[in-house]
Amino acid sequence: MTMGVQPFPVAPTPLSVEQAEAMSQRRLKKHHVAIILLHWFNAIVWLCELATGAALIASPYFRVMPYWYISMITSVFGTRANMLRFHIAVGITWVIVFLVYGTFGFHTYLAKQIFEKEIALDRDDFNWLIIRALRILKKSDKPLPPQSSYNAGQKLFALLVYAMVPVIMITGLIMAFHLFSTPAVGWAVVLHFAAVGLVVSGLIIHVYMGAVFPEEKAAFFSMLTGMVSELYAYRHHFKWWREVKMQEEAWKNKFRSGLESRQVAPPMSSPNLAAPPTATETSEVKHGPPGWFQRIFRAPEYWPPYAVGVGLGLTLLATFVLMGQGLGASGGFTSYLVAFIAWVAPNYASHHPYWSNYIQPGQSPLITFLVFELIGVVIGGFVSGWLAGRVRIAVDKGPRTSRCTRYALALGGGILTGYGARLARGCTSGLALSGGAVLSVGAWVFMLAVFAAGFGGAWFMRRYWL
Amino acid sequence: MNAPYFSTFSLSTYLAVAVLLGFFFGFFLERAGFSSAHKLVAQFYFKDFSVLKVMFSAIVVAMLGIAYFSLIGWLDMSQVFVPPTYVWPQLVGGLMLGAGFIIGGY
Repeated sequence: MTMGVQPFPVAPTPLSVEQAEAMSQRRLKKHHVAIILLHWFNAIVWLCELATGAALIASPYFRVMPYWYISMITSVFGTRANMLRFHIAVGITWVIVFLVYGTFGFHTYLAKQIFEKEIALDRDDFNWLIIRALRILKKSDKPLPPQSSYNAGQKLFALLVYAMVPVIMITGLIMAFHLFSTPAVGWAVVLHFAAVGLVVSGLIIHVYMGAVFPEEKAAFFSMLTGMVSELYAYRHHFKWWREVKMQEEAWKNKFRSGLESRQVAPPMSSPNLAAPPTATETSEVKHGPPGWFQRIFRAPEYWPPYAVGVGLGLTLLATFVLMGQGLGASGGFTSYLVAFIAWVAPNYASHHPYWSNYIQPGQSPLITFLVFELIGVVIGGFVSGWLAGRVRIAVDKGPRTSRCTRYALALGGGILTGYGARLARGCTSGLALSGGAVLSVGAWVFMLAVFAAGFGGAWFMRRYWL
Repeated sequence: MNAPYFSTFSLSTYLAVAVLLGFFFGFFLERAGFSSAHKLVAQFYFKDFSVLKVMFSAIVVAMLGIAYFSLIGWLDMSQVFVPPTYVWPQLVGGLMLGAGFIIGGY
């Protein structure tokens, strides 16, 4: 468990080959999943906004991209007006997500010590910057001073981003809605470009470091998995490594003393925890089908998400190849409803401005792809649940929510979901999933909006779910 | 003969294929645990990212397949339905659906 370097050194010491080997095997948690998600959300937003923003600047005074680029991006959206709408819609989604994040995650993500960790430069950091620059110029071979969880370069970039993002957001809103006065909009334009330009200059280094620079490969992967190897932490973020190890040690001591004071023998009882699942497994083996079938289809656990994702992706691909459209859900339910209305009041349905779209003369509104696909969905879902022994009648609710509250919330949420799905011409399946796969711009706007509202609303609904 | 094939199907084949594709759709959704509102909602509390993982890996798989098939000329994209874009309705609809999602759980 513990390595030769005990107690923890104040500055990094050279490691033996065995120590380095052992440390490269161990992993430390660096980023919370919320941070990872926010990082990539931000990356997507920046990509969309820079791509469209650069193409929106067509005036000869400001133009930064060649005309072929501008016409290429414009043709993706059809018209410049559409492109501008997309730019504004994504930008507003970005502002909303950050407002929600900043408001409700204030104590967790924006507390004083987080700011100190992320942007406050100390003496080591200034030395680091100087030595780093000298080393690049081959003027020095001094070792770099130890760094905490973010190095001085990252802190500088964070400082720039924290300073410029509010400017970009506010000027963007002024431009989008022509707030205040015409001169204000004019100034907003200039400030918007300048702030973006500053961030982009840092972003170039940031992306280069993350994506290209070999020494920082681990930092890139930590933004996907949240983990870094201990060796990387030791070499690149020594002060953070030391902090983590000291916390670990303190925790271990506390745990040990807790065990001693209680005077119980836990090893005797621990195997029982694993006993119930093995018992059910052995009883199921008595049925006919082969072992692999049991393991894959009849195990009570859900399948790993990426495996399901590939299966679902292939189903979606097959749907496009066979049917020329994607999978869906809400459109099918609309057809069921229209069929009912057409049965009760045929004349009303066939003259209704919306429902008449779902009726073809001489044919039942039920003869559509989605209606029959939904029948398959019910069967497929039932078969999957039945194989795994998950079929039961239950009210799925939070521990502190009453049944009645849950029913009321389900009805209210269902009305919102249904109205939203029809307003957007599709739901999570028909628009976000299927439209997303064929790169429909609206589908991605919709998807970002769904997740933004979901994450935003989560805080208000927490007592009903947690 | 180029994909998509729906125009060559008889009505009964068309509907049977629809049921079959739906079967796999439902099967995989249940396999991922999406029949549980709790599991769906867990993503919004940063507890369980199955929804994002499944959805985005499915999109990527289908997208790569479509791009490849249309590149080699097998899938005729002009016959494939691409949902048209209406930014404001889709933005507002998405926000409503997301709010309904976290309230109702599905």
